[in-house]
Formats: sequence, structure tokens, C-alpha cells
Amino acid sequence: MASIALKTFVGLRQSTPENNAIVLSKPIATTTLPYRRLRVNASKSSPRVTGRNLRVAVVGGGPAGGAAAETLAKGGIETFLIERKLDNCKPCGGAIPLCMVGEFDLPLDIIDRRVTKMKMISPSNVAVDIGQTLKPHEYIGMVRREVLDAYLRDRASDAGATVINGLFLKMDLPQSKNAPYVLHYTDYNAKTGSAGEKKTMEVDAVIGADGANSRVAKGINAGDYDYAIAFQERIKISDEKMKYYENLAEMYVGEDVSPDFYGWVFPKCDHVAVGTGTVTHKGDIKKFQLATRLRARDKIEGGRIIRVEAHPIPEHPRPKRVLDRVALVGDAAGYVTKCSGEGIYFAAKSGRMCAEAIVEGSENGKRMVEESDLRVYLEKWDKTYWPTYKVLDILQKVFYRSNPAKEAFVEMCADEYVQKMTFDSYLYKRVVPGNPLEDLKLAVNTIGSLVRANALRKEMEKLSV
Amino acid sequence: MSMAIFSPKIPSLTPSPSQSHGKTHVSFKLYLPLRPTRKLRFDLLVSSDNGSGVAATIPDETPVSSEETVGSNGSPPPPLTAKDPVAEPVKLVGGESSFEDPRWVGGTWDLKQFAKDGKTDWDAVIDAEVKRRKWMEDNPQSSSNENPVVFDTSIIPWWAWMKRFHLPEAELLNGRAAMIGFFMAYFVDSLTGVGLVDQMSNFFCKTLLFVAVAGVLLIRKNEDIETIKKLLEETTFYDKQWQATWQDETPSSPGK
Repeated sequence: MASIALKTFVGLRQSTPENNAIVLSKPIATTTLPYRRLRVNASKSSPRVTGRNLRVAVVGGGPAGGAAAETLAKGGIETFLIERKLDNCKPCGGAIPLCMVGEFDLPLDIIDRRVTKMKMISPSNVAVDIGQTLKPHEYIGMVRREVLDAYLRDRASDAGATVINGLFLKMDLPQSKNAPYVLHYTDYNAKTGSAGEKKTMEVDAVIGADGANSRVAKGINAGDYDYAIAFQERIKISDEKMKYYENLAEMYVGEDVSPDFYGWVFPKCDHVAVGTGTVTHKGDIKKFQLATRLRARDKIEGGRIIRVEAHPIPEHPRPKRVLDRVALVGDAAGYVTKCSGEGIYFAAKSGRMCAEAIVEGSENGKRMVEESDLRVYLEKWDKTYWPTYKVLDILQKVFYRSNPAKEAFVEMCADEYVQKMTFDSYLYKRVVPGNPLEDLKLAVNTIGSLVRANALRKEMEKLSV
Repeated sequence: MSMAIFSPKIPSLTPSPSQSHGKTHVSFKLYLPLRPTRKLRFDLLVSSDNGSGVAATIPDETPVSSEETVGSNGSPPPPLTAKDPVAEPVKLVGGESSFEDPRWVGGTWDLKQFAKDGKTDWDAVIDAEVKRRKWMEDNPQSSSNENPVVFDTSIIPWWAWMKRFHLPEAELLNGRAAMIGFFMAYFVDSLTGVGLVDQMSNFFCKTLLFVAVAGVLLIRKNEDIETIKKLLEETTFYDKQWQATWQDETPSSPGK
């Protein structure tokens, strides 16, 4: 990681060494040897913020924004959380891993359901049950986003953050070094009716947590990313059929359901969410949704569709995630994993990590922060979660490529070792090395499955000719 | 009346021997080779009973045995009975169809029905599974809990896959390699005068050999060259997207 530290310094503004020169009189913990100044301790030489604490605005009140605002407020920073719709019922799978409950001290009543079984269904309807390796206390939590988001926001507010119900419009970048950012937003709090009142706010740093269509990202020209469209229908089915989904979620793979993703049936509080997604064939999403409903027909027959929703899912991080004193977190930064499309945990964790970096870099709000402090968050994030993202990317590339690959995928899921590794890495967000002998067996079995499935596919093509 | 009695396998000894005779004459010929011992036993029984009924009884018994042979075998030779309409593979009734095949039992292939000479005919199993997957791809079906599909391709032994898929391709590739090898060896020899044995100890020639083998293995169709280039780019694409934020002063979307 030392190489990355060097790289980051290469990109830093030329003004940093000047800053060091100005405040040389202040006792610095490090020596004054030139190469030592290249370390991230540059923040310690930032000017003090006099008369007030550091002001930070968090734009967007989802899991990322809520977690960031709470950590900032607890760290003694004056925090403003701007959210446009406080009761937003977001279209989302709603799955959170077990570690999130512990790390974020979530109360257990937020979790509607505990999923302990999953069924993977291949293109030729081979069904495999996974979850036998789960211990009794392990589960995947299904939450309602409006409940989770509201809880995190309330906790931030209790910690001292100011929650503003408003719509972020645009942001004026500072013209001089330590000048504030000017945020323009429409405040819905005031009693001027639904139109809201245009206001401005001056802050020292901004955390962009406003999701896939982030305006903060546009404001700093962060660049675009490829995204998938996830389309979901909430279907209310009979209680009897609902019992099957008591603690079971289903995943359907196949070219009919999605060429590069999967279709799902996830249980929610009293209904199921049936959906699918795709990156490459967005125009055919309705067709894929019909195919998903067909595949699950026996189990959702007679249900009523109570809601139809769609949302974009980023496929990879934006080219720029930090600029000056603006940082992006969560979906705005593009922290959604491939293969599973998981984003809630990573949003909340990145929000918290970014806030921690700001708290540390500003010494609890006493000093101004710099881009280098925000890059500390990026470095820590990349180092901690890069293996997870890369492994999921490889899995997606290998197993979502074609129908034979998806058949092999489902066949592999029947193996107990695979299930154990999958759940361990999903629930606790760590890539465990595992037993090397078993890994070798797994590799051999994977190759075998792929070879067999592809061989069958070649024969199928001969049939159609 | 005797016709009706014939079908339920209850032999009647007496009436309308001419009609029954004609019918049984045919079946007599067909099933004679299959069940010779059976016929013999019946002959003995019949002849011991009464001399007049000999001509009638023998034909009586063989349709019975022929019925039974059909029942017990259950194998492909066209059954003459009413079993025909039932053994259809696919019923297409407006989307309500499901994969039907007599050998697809309980969500997996019944290997006993693929027996050939006492051993399982794995090629037939592979063919059947290929047909099923093709059918499923063309007619996606609802996955139901009552009839789960539990077939796993790994029950087909590795050597069956080898024989069917690997060996023909291996033959092809080895043939290509041999042709290339022979002509390259001749070519190099004619140009440089270095014989085959001396070529093998030369580093440059060994490198050429390696390139030739790798080329034969990796590039099997013309499209493979493009595919390999794309694959190589793909392996590092995601990494580049993640590193994009560290190439600070180049906001020209390197990771798009």
C-alpha cells in the first residue's frame, strides 16, 4: 500500500508544501525531514478553525448519510444532514449481512425477517438449497428501507446532527484555499407549503451520500459509471404460499431471466418482492420480469401486485471519488458489489469510514480538513474491501457469462464447502483463505462443472442447427 | 366375443378359430424367437390335455405370452398395444406444458432405463439431458416445489465426458500440431540445415515450438484471437475502474 500512498501524493495540490512552510512554527509530531512530510500527517499542519467547529454537510439521508452524520456528530463536528424525502420507501432488495447488525448496533426489531435458507435455480430448473452450513445464530436480515433509514437518521439527530428536510440543488466550489462550500438547497421544513424555500448554506466539507444519481458527484465532475437497472414488483401472496418464504429467498439464473444478473424472490414483511436486473439489455427488462414471474409462477400464483419499482445500481466506482474537501460515499461513489449487487452495508460502512477520517483529520473539528484526509478514507476503504470486490467481480465474470456457466454455478452451490465459504464471506465481509486442500478440490470441481455444462451447450447448438 | 376375451389375456379355447387363427398367426411369428422356452412349455401342457384342441390352444397361449413380453420389457420395440399415445415426450398445451419423457423420473434421469448390455449407456444420458436443456431454454418453465429437478451432471463418469467431448477435439488439435510441426521442422531444416535433433537443443527453436503448441491450443477458431484479446483486457478492467480515483489529474474518465 506504500505505492498507493506515493501515488496519492503525486496528485495532491501544489499548495500543500506551502501550507507546511507557513505553520512551521507549530510543533509538528514528525521530524522536518523532507520525505517525512510526504506522509499523510500533512493535515496536522492545517490551520485551526477559530471560534467554531468544523461544519460538514452530508447530502442524502440513506444508510450512508445516516451513518456518516452520526459519526461526525459524535466526533464533535457541526453536522447538517440534508434529505429530500424523510419517509422514502426505496426500491431495494433490503438484505443486510449479519455483521451490520453488530457493527451498527441495530435493534433486532428493525429486521422484518431472518433469511436462513436460499434456493438457487438454474436455467434448466435444477434447484439447490443452500444454507445448511449456517449456524443457528446466523442469518441474512431483511429490512424495510424506510425503517432502517429513519432509524439511522434519528440516531444521527440524537447525536447532535441537524436533519434538514430539503432538496440539494447545487454547490458552489470554493474560490480560495480554505473558503467554504456554498450549498444551494430547497428547504421543505419551513411552512411555505410544498414548494419549499430556497436557501443556501456554507460548510467546510461535503459528504455526498445522495445515491446513484448523485448531484454532489455532478458538482465535482466525478465522472459516470456503468449501471444496472433493477426492476422489482412487490406481490402480495396468500398466507399459505407466504409460509414457504418464511425464511427463504430464491435466486433464479438464466438467460431468460437476465443475461448478466439474476432474478430474485425476496420475502419482505408481509409480501414478496419479485424482481430482476440487467446492465447490458436494459430495454428488455420487462421481458425479463415476465420470465422471472413465470419461473416462480407456481409459488406466487394468485398474488396481487401492490407496487412496481425500479432503480439504478452502480456497477463500479466513479472515476473520481474525492475532490478537495468533497467525498462521495455509498451508491454515489459506486460501492455496490458485482455478482450479488449488495450495497446497503457498504454504503453505511463507507459513510462511517469517511466520517471517521474527517473527524481524525480535523482533530474532532478543531482544524480544517484537506483532500489528504479524505484520501485516508479512500485508502482504508480500498485496502479493506478490495479483495471482496475483486472476488465477486471474478465470480460474476466466470459464472454469469452464459447459460452453461449459470448451470455450473448452481451445481457448484450444492457443495457444502462452497456454501460455507460463501456465507462466511457474505455475513462477515471477510475473504477467508480456507483449507487449501478443499480449495484445490473446489477448483477442480468448478472446472469440471464448467467443462461439462459447456460441452452440453455445444451439443445443444448442434441440435438447433 | 372371443376377440374381446383375447385382449384381457384370458385364453378361451373354443370359438372362431379362423379369425383368431389369422391374428395369432402373425403374432406367433413375431414373438416366437423371443420366448421359445415359454412356447415349448405351453406345447407340452397343451398336447397332454386334449388332442383336438392342439391347433387352437397353441395360438391361444402365444398372444398371452406376447402380451406379457410387451408388458415386462417396456423397451423401445414398438408396442402393438394401446401404450403408444402415452409415451409422447412433450405435451404442448398453451404454456402449461412441462418436460415429459418416460426416462425423466422424479426430477432426474432414471439410469435404469438407459441400460444397454447390462451397463448404463452414458451417451444416451448425455443426449437426453441435452434435449431437455434445449427444450427448457426454448420453453422456460415454472420451477415447482412439488416436482423439483435434482439432476446433477457429475453422476455421469468422467471417462464418458472424455470419450465424447475431449478425445475428438484432442485428435483434431494433435493433428494440427503434427502438421505444423512436420512442416516447420522441414522448413527450418531446408533454410538452415539444422536437423530435427539439433533443432530440439536450440533455444530459439524451442521457443518457436512453445509458441506453436500454445497457438494450437488457444486459437481453435478465427474468432478466438479477438476473444483472447478481449479476455485479457477484461481481467484488468475492474482494477482500472477502482484505481481511477487515484489518477487524480486525469479526469478523462479512464475507467468508463
